[in-house]
Amino acid sequence: MDAASHLGVVVDLSPTHWYLSSTRTQHNARPLSLKSFLSHLLVFLNSHIACKDENTLAVFGVLPGRSIMLYSSTSESSGNPLDKADANTYRPFKVLDATVMRTIAEHVENLGPSDLEIPGELVGALTKSLCHINRITTTSSAHANGQTASIDPRILILSVSPDQSLSYIPIMNSIFSAQKLRVTIDVCKVYGSESVFLQQAAHLTGGSYLHIDRADALLQYLTMSFLPPPGIRQLLSVPTQDKIDFRAACFCHKRIVDIGFVCSVCLSIFCQPVPVCSTCRTKFPIKTLQRLNAARPAVTTPTAAATPYIRSPASLPSSNAIKVGAVNGSQAAARNGLR
Amino acid sequence: MPSVNLNADPITDSEWSPHILLAFLQSQSQTALTRLYHKPSSCLSVFRLLRPLERQLIMNLLWLESTIPMSTMSAWVTQEGKKPYDDSLSTLARLHIIPKSTTKLALNATFRTSLRQAITGGGTTGSFGVPAEPDPQHPPPDIATLDAYALERWETILHYMVSSGTGQHPTKPSQEVLFLLQRSGLMTKTRGGVLQITSSGFQFLLHDPHAQLWELLLQFLHMAEERQMDLVEALSFLLMLSTMELGLAFATENLSPTQNAMLADLRNYGLIWQYDASARQFSPTRLATTLTSSSPPLPTSRNTGAGSHDQGFIVLETNYRLYAYTDNPLQIAVLNLFVTLKARFPNLVVGAITRESVKKALANGITADQIISYLTTYAHPQMRKNKPLLPVTVQDQIRLWELEKNRVKSQEGYLYTAFASQQDYEYVLDYAKKLDVVLWENPTKRCFFGSLDGHANIRGFIERRTAEKA
Amino acid sequence: MPPRLVENYNGDDSDSDVDIFGDFDAGVKGKGKGKGKAIDRGKKDKGKGKAKEQSYAWEASYTRSWDTVQEDEAGSLQGAVEDLIARGRRRRLLAPAAAIRRAIIRHLILLLDLSSAMMDRDMRPTRFDLMLQYAREFVTEWFDQNPLGQIGVVGMRAGIGERMGEMSGNPQEVLKAISERHKLEPTGEPSLQNAIEMARASMSHLPTHSSREIIIIFGSLTTCDPGNIHDTLAECVKDRIRVSVVALAAEMKICRELCDKTGGQFGVALNEGHFKDLLFELIPPPAQRALSTGPNARGGATAPADLMMMGFPTRLPDTSPPSLCVCHSQLKSEGFLCPRCGAKVCDVPTDCDICGLMIVSSPHLARSYHHLFPVKTYQAVRSLDDTPNASATCHACARPFKDAPQPMAGATGEGMSPLGRYRCPDCQNDFCAECDVFVHDVVHCCPGCGK
Repeated sequence: MDAASHLGVVVDLSPTHWYLSSTRTQHNARPLSLKSFLSHLLVFLNSHIACKDENTLAVFGVLPGRSIMLYSSTSESSGNPLDKADANTYRPFKVLDATVMRTIAEHVENLGPSDLEIPGELVGALTKSLCHINRITTTSSAHANGQTASIDPRILILSVSPDQSLSYIPIMNSIFSAQKLRVTIDVCKVYGSESVFLQQAAHLTGGSYLHIDRADALLQYLTMSFLPPPGIRQLLSVPTQDKIDFRAACFCHKRIVDIGFVCSVCLSIFCQPVPVCSTCRTKFPIKTLQRLNAARPAVTTPTAAATPYIRSPASLPSSNAIKVGAVNGSQAAARNGLR
Repeated sequence: MPSVNLNADPITDSEWSPHILLAFLQSQSQTALTRLYHKPSSCLSVFRLLRPLERQLIMNLLWLESTIPMSTMSAWVTQEGKKPYDDSLSTLARLHIIPKSTTKLALNATFRTSLRQAITGGGTTGSFGVPAEPDPQHPPPDIATLDAYALERWETILHYMVSSGTGQHPTKPSQEVLFLLQRSGLMTKTRGGVLQITSSGFQFLLHDPHAQLWELLLQFLHMAEERQMDLVEALSFLLMLSTMELGLAFATENLSPTQNAMLADLRNYGLIWQYDASARQFSPTRLATTLTSSSPPLPTSRNTGAGSHDQGFIVLETNYRLYAYTDNPLQIAVLNLFVTLKARFPNLVVGAITRESVKKALANGITADQIISYLTTYAHPQMRKNKPLLPVTVQDQIRLWELEKNRVKSQEGYLYTAFASQQDYEYVLDYAKKLDVVLWENPTKRCFFGSLDGHANIRGFIERRTAEKA
Repeated sequence: MPPRLVENYNGDDSDSDVDIFGDFDAGVKGKGKGKGKAIDRGKKDKGKGKAKEQSYAWEASYTRSWDTVQEDEAGSLQGAVEDLIARGRRRRLLAPAAAIRRAIIRHLILLLDLSSAMMDRDMRPTRFDLMLQYAREFVTEWFDQNPLGQIGVVGMRAGIGERMGEMSGNPQEVLKAISERHKLEPTGEPSLQNAIEMARASMSHLPTHSSREIIIIFGSLTTCDPGNIHDTLAECVKDRIRVSVVALAAEMKICRELCDKTGGQFGVALNEGHFKDLLFELIPPPAQRALSTGPNARGGATAPADLMMMGFPTRLPDTSPPSLCVCHSQLKSEGFLCPRCGAKVCDVPTDCDICGLMIVSSPHLARSYHHLFPVKTYQAVRSLDDTPNASATCHACARPFKDAPQPMAGATGEGMSPLGRYRCPDCQNDFCAECDVFVHDVVHCCPGCGK
């Protein structure tokens, strides 16, 4: 049980949202600047390395329009000869801190004013950290002769930006690959509103989702909730999310729907019967439209919503009767539809 | 048959048992430990030796300024975690990291300050070793040199142990090392003044290098006490070594006199490298820098000749034949303890596990479990594909051979004879049987044998009975 | 715009053991790999007709597999072996990336041969045990890739078809049906007709335009049928049931015909590994196609596309007060509420037992998206001449690339990069071979451009 564990950290470095986070407003009574956040984070990362000599770490940064690897304890070039040994600091900590800060500084300086509008590349950082985990798990199992193959990988996402509806499919794909690799995804929402996508990520991979209320106690939150490796979490409970929104947003109005209408070809979700799928341009039979319109629960009108809507099964269109295929539509069309 | 739990991995078991150093630390006084905790490097090393749950508890408390009620922390513990949690708290209390209180939880203030400093860096303690000024005349050795040096020193010790009494004369380690081996009971002086390996010495040889190292170092610490050395200084020096970076040179100026005196000993064990005894800088070897981690393996577990296989080299077949891909004299000598070696090739030794060879090992005080765990630890990568790893027949047979040794079991007790009448005899025997203390009985001779713990009752019973009669 | 379809339906998918060499010719310039290599045959052979001009495997000239392996300067085979492995991986990625319409909501009956022929030990430990083991793995993987699908299990033994498990969308229920070995003990003769009829009957309630499939694992060389099996075949064609057969013994005319006529795949397993490959090839959603044969076949243009009504349930937390579920009538606290009638079901996806609404959670839908929006195939980088400032490390896992191109024997045209670099056509980032495969097989999302 006392196995080494790998931690991949995805840090959201979106300048816009860190600016919002650091300004004191009515809604943001405890501002947290990027600088103090990073000092909390570095201590947390040090703690992870401190727990066991063999623990490994990879840090990825999310910047507008791109994602970068900030630090990896497995790459040989992580040590910089310029870092002079210091009698007062444990050397791996020093290397880690210096590398992370230097890379962030380099990349933040390169940001232009036009970059501020571009949303962060969370997906890129997440998939990169998955690729990295894939690499170290495959190589370690090959080298250690199957003896110490379990390195207990997990990913921690520190997020400040809101969900990008455009990245829904990539994020879900990343979640499923994390499930396959048995990677736990933890999510720490440092600032901003709840993220439905990341909630689902934590739930589906068995991780925990935490929305920080008191930003000044960030380190304590991180240590208590995200430092314990999965083995310890059976003994010390960590916060879990009880209520997860499994409802989907329709592609047409981004409305959260209870009952949706799904295109059999591309699985696009609509909040009302439409004659043509906006994603893959498939035309639907007019008969289906009429039938669905008739069967549609009139939840939009308040009177109907008040009375439970139950029909006898016989009169219902058997929705499972409509099992059909899907077109591998062009991506451009799909994106247009998703927008 | 004992074969049920044969597959339990001895490695994971040993990982869960607390580290050997912790038991030593727990026997130390609170003041000594508090002095030790003054150094951030010592705190970090001790912290790493703890079990995962204990580490997490410390981390949870580390950044809190005030004490928290016990109930708050136990609210985090799940149902299954209750027992490990209580164990962890008592371990930490014995190490004086948390107070022995039942209501409040907080870290020892010294420990907290030092560990915080270790993790955040800074301070002026210099406890992670002061780097030496680069010396153009004597540049620090590269890592390969250090590994070779450590390996050579360490294997000299082990090889000397294993070949003692076999008539061979390998290189002798230094006098200090020999003295240490003798003091630790791993070797003993025979009549002729020649050192001979003891049964605990044989057991020692089958341990993994990490455990061997700590066993010797603990012995060293015990000796340090007797030599009027400052134990805390010695201990914190060892822990400091474990946090140093391999391949760097460190200055000796900032070391205390005790620590300077230790340099010679550690050089003998192969923990540090110095270009000569009066050098003003030293480089820790891999033996030293991995003291508080379980891997990467110490250079000892590698083969000198063929570096291709890092871990295992033994192939064991169901027909008791054993092939060891090694040319390392030490490994061959260790195998020779319980294997009849038949042929030797440049990179391969062939032998068989026989009744005689195992009997010889058992007579030396080695247990069947130790043989099996040694074979498991050093099994060839190809063997790791098997499930179970070692052939069950061989495992069982080794255990059976061990059981053969234990055919007679002695038990202390009392023989009750000379009963006046058969009735008396049966009456007392009946009573003894009720107590379940009868080990043997013979009605015709009117005697029975009772175990030690039943004696007081039986005697009382007989006395009462004779008193009644009288 | 009408739905995109592969109009030219090609009759059948290829036969595995015969088309090995054709496969190599078409897919890669496999420099004569031996018969043993046939295990990792690619998916290239899909849509290729049975090659008439090609000889059977045993008629083909024997290729010496060791000739393809070349030692490097140091006399080590390591490089050559790695090269072979990498090439095998790459090959899978060369599948056509053209738009194919795939069946997403599938219904499958797994037909297991439980006749005495399955006790043969030509596959270790026995055909039967191996089949059970692979069937379990198959079910797990199948549900992973087809979260909206359903599987039923039918066994054939002692001349009749036996229903082992009802059609279900819950992997646990299906696995339970094939978990107990003693209940499935093989005996007697198999009857293809009886079993297929039973499978057909259990799918009869599904509408004709749904994806209906039967996968037969067949170990016997005989079938003992009460009537004319060709009538059953015709019925299957009429009902648009796709029959695929994995044979363990040898090719049988009727099995091939079943597959050919219904558009399924037929294959004979050469060995254990090949058996698994054949079976697992049936996991990805098949390309949707219209049947041009059969009495009431529709034209391709009117292939079914429809709007489906689906409910997204509310998940009850573990701490909610316990109540009875409609599916098992058990008292439980966790569960999902049907959004239309408020009934509580244990697991999704399912059809509500009360109102018949299809209940799915959004992750289930999302799990299928990657079939629809695949990642573009990366291009192998041949030289760095046109990109002077190329990154030195893999864009995804930060592994450093090889500096000098590695000479590869006969590797041209195989989509292998001598530099070990594969470039995304969209974001122009370079990836290593391992990440290339990982991105396309598992993540389905390019780390560079995020789509």
